[in-house]
Amino acid sequence: MSAPLATRIAEEFAAAAGSLAPDSQRSRAIDALTARGLPSSRDENWKYVNLRSLEKVRFATAGAAPDLAITADQLPPQIQGYARYTFVDGVLAPALSASAAPPGIVVRSMRSSGSAPGNGALQSEGDLRFALLSEAFATDGAAIHVAADAQCPGCIELVFVASTEATRGASYPRIDLKVAPGARIGLIERHISVGSEANFINSLASVEIGRDSSVQHYRLQQVGARAVCFDTLRATLAQSSKYQLYSVNLGAQSARSTVHVQLAGANAEVGLFNASVASRTQVHDTFQLVEHIAPNTRTEQIFRGISAGRARVACNGKIVVRKDASGTDSRQSLRGLLAGADAEIDVRPQLEIYTDDVRCSHGATAGKLDDNMLFYLLSRGLDRATAMALLKWAFLEDVVARIEVPELRRQIEASLAGQLNETNALQGALQELL
Amino acid sequence: MLRIDNLHVAVGDKKVLNGLTLAVPTGEVHAIMGPNGSGKSTLAYVLAGRPGYEVTQGSVTLDGRDLLALEPQERAHEGVFLGFQYPVEIPGVNNVYLLKAALNAMRRHRGLSEVDAFEFLGLVREKMRLMRMDESFLSRGVNEGFSGGEKKRNEILQMLVLEPKLALLDETDSGLDIDALKVVAGGVNTLRCAERSIVLVTHYQRLLDYIVPDHVHVLVRGRIARSGDRTLALELEKRGYDWVTEAA
Repeated sequence: MSAPLATRIAEEFAAAAGSLAPDSQRSRAIDALTARGLPSSRDENWKYVNLRSLEKVRFATAGAAPDLAITADQLPPQIQGYARYTFVDGVLAPALSASAAPPGIVVRSMRSSGSAPGNGALQSEGDLRFALLSEAFATDGAAIHVAADAQCPGCIELVFVASTEATRGASYPRIDLKVAPGARIGLIERHISVGSEANFINSLASVEIGRDSSVQHYRLQQVGARAVCFDTLRATLAQSSKYQLYSVNLGAQSARSTVHVQLAGANAEVGLFNASVASRTQVHDTFQLVEHIAPNTRTEQIFRGISAGRARVACNGKIVVRKDASGTDSRQSLRGLLAGADAEIDVRPQLEIYTDDVRCSHGATAGKLDDNMLFYLLSRGLDRATAMALLKWAFLEDVVARIEVPELRRQIEASLAGQLNETNALQGALQELL
Repeated sequence: MLRIDNLHVAVGDKKVLNGLTLAVPTGEVHAIMGPNGSGKSTLAYVLAGRPGYEVTQGSVTLDGRDLLALEPQERAHEGVFLGFQYPVEIPGVNNVYLLKAALNAMRRHRGLSEVDAFEFLGLVREKMRLMRMDESFLSRGVNEGFSGGEKKRNEILQMLVLEPKLALLDETDSGLDIDALKVVAGGVNTLRCAERSIVLVTHYQRLLDYIVPDHVHVLVRGRIARSGDRTLALELEKRGYDWVTEAA
C-alpha cells in the first residue's frame, strides 16, 4: 500500500474516533496497520487483486443506522431450520433477525453486548492486514457461542447486506464463532448487496473449534457487480475437531478471500471446498493457508474456478507442516477452467514441510474445456451451448455436490447457472440433477 | 444409404484416407477390417464429424444429404451414431441426463414432442435389461469409473435409445470378454432392420461370429483394398492381413 493511503486511513480513524466506542484494541489495530501498511500489488500473495479500488473508499462506516430500509423480500429465501440474523452494512437489523437462537447456541450483537469486536488479528503471524482494518473500524458483528455437546447441524444463518456507496462508508461484517467441545453445528454466511452501489466490504471471521466438535460453514459471496469485497477468516481447531468450509464466490467486481486455518490439536481435520465463477472483468482471488501444527492432522482442499470474459480467477493454496505435525495427510486439488479467450486463471498449490512422515499430494490444472468430452456430447446430438454449459457445470460439481443442505444447494445451483449465464441451457440439467 | 466417394482425409500433415469409396445400402451391415494404422478409426471419426480431420477431397452423403457440411450434432440429428472405441468419461454429468437430453434433441429435430420422465424411464429400463446393466448406472457420471466392458455396453445402450439411421461402431469388441461380447452383439442385432445401416469397424473376425455382416471390406493405407462376403473375414483370420496388404 502506498504511504498516503495508510496516512489517510489513520486520519479517518482519528476523525471517526469520537463516534466509535473507546477501545484500546482499535487504537492498537490502527497503529499496527499504520506500521505495516496494507498490501500492495507488489506483494506476491496480493498481486491478483485490484487494490487501487481502495483509493476511493471512505473507511469509516456510514453511520449507526443504515438509511436504506431493507425488507425481508430483498433477502434470499430462508433455509428451513436455520435461525437467520441479518446485518446491514455490518450492523444488526433486529427486525430481520430471529428473536431466539436454537438451544445451546447464544448469538449476540457485538455492539449491544459491549464486547469489543476485535480479537486475534493483532497476535497472529499470518498476513491478516485487512483484519486490522476491520478491528479498527467495525462497530458490530455476530458473536456466536455454542455450548458443549450442543447438537445443531442446521443452525445459524448470517446474512450480511451491503447497501452503502464506498465513497460514503464501508461495511465491516464480523463473525466471532466459539464452539465448545463435543458440539456439532451448521453455519450459513451470506454476503449480498441491495441496490447497485459500489460497496466496500471488508469482513472478518474468527472461528475457534473445541475438542471433538464439528462445524460445517457455508459461505456464499454474491455481492453486487460493482462491489469490492475483502474477507479474512481465521480458524483454530482443537484436538479431533472437524471444520468444513464451503465457499462459493460469484459476485463483486473484485473479491479477495484470505483464509488461515491452524490445526492445533492432534487428529484435527479441515476441508476447504471452493467454487469461484467470474465473468466480465471480475477478479476473484482466494488465498488459503493451512498450518498443520499437531500430529495426525488432515487437510482436503478443492478449488474449482471458472473464468469467462476478461475475468481473472486465482487460487493460492498453501500447506505448512510444522515440525511436530508428523502423520499429516493433506490433499490439494486446484483446477481452473478458461471459458474465454481473454480470461485468466492462476492456481498455485504450495507446500512447506518441516517434518518427515507426512503424506501431501497436490494437483493443479488450468485449461479449456476438454475437446474429447465436448465432441462426445455433440456426437449424441446435444447442441453446442448445452454441451458447453453441461461441462462447466460438471466441473463445479466436485465442490457443489458436497453441499449437504439440499435447499441451500438448490439455491447455489440456481445462482451458479445464472452466473454462468446459462440458466436456459442448464434448465433441463438442473431439474435432472436435483 | 451411406455413400462415400473418393474420400481423402489428412490429420495434420499425414494423409490417412486416400480415395476411399464405399456404399452401404440401407438395411445392410458392413464390416470394415484392416491392419493397425490403415485408417479404420479415422473413417469412423470423419463420418461423425470429429474436429482435427481435414477432408481434402471427396464426398460423403447419407440419404443424399451432404454429411461433411454438417456439425457433429447436426449429423447426430440426421441419424448418425458413433459408438466410440474409447468412450469418454464425463464426471459430473449423469448418464440418465445425457440419455434424455440426447433423445429429446433427436425428437425435436424430427418434430416430435419431448418424452416425459415416466415414459423415458420405462424405455431406458427396457434397454438396460437387454444390455444387462444395473439400474444404479443411471445416476452415475457418464462412463465414470466404468470398466471397459461397461463403457461399451453403455455405448450400445445409447444407440438402442437413439435408434440411429447409421450406426458406426468403432472397435466395439475391443476389451470385451466373451460374455460381454455376446451381450453387446445381441444389442446390435436387435437394431438390424431394413431402415438402418450398420458399419462395424473391427480388427478381429471374432465379433463377426455374432454380428454376421452382409459385406466385409479390407482397408489398406486409406483405401478399400478388397471386398467380399463374410468368408473374407474368415480368410483374414486364417491368413492374416499380409496377403491383402501386399496385393494392394
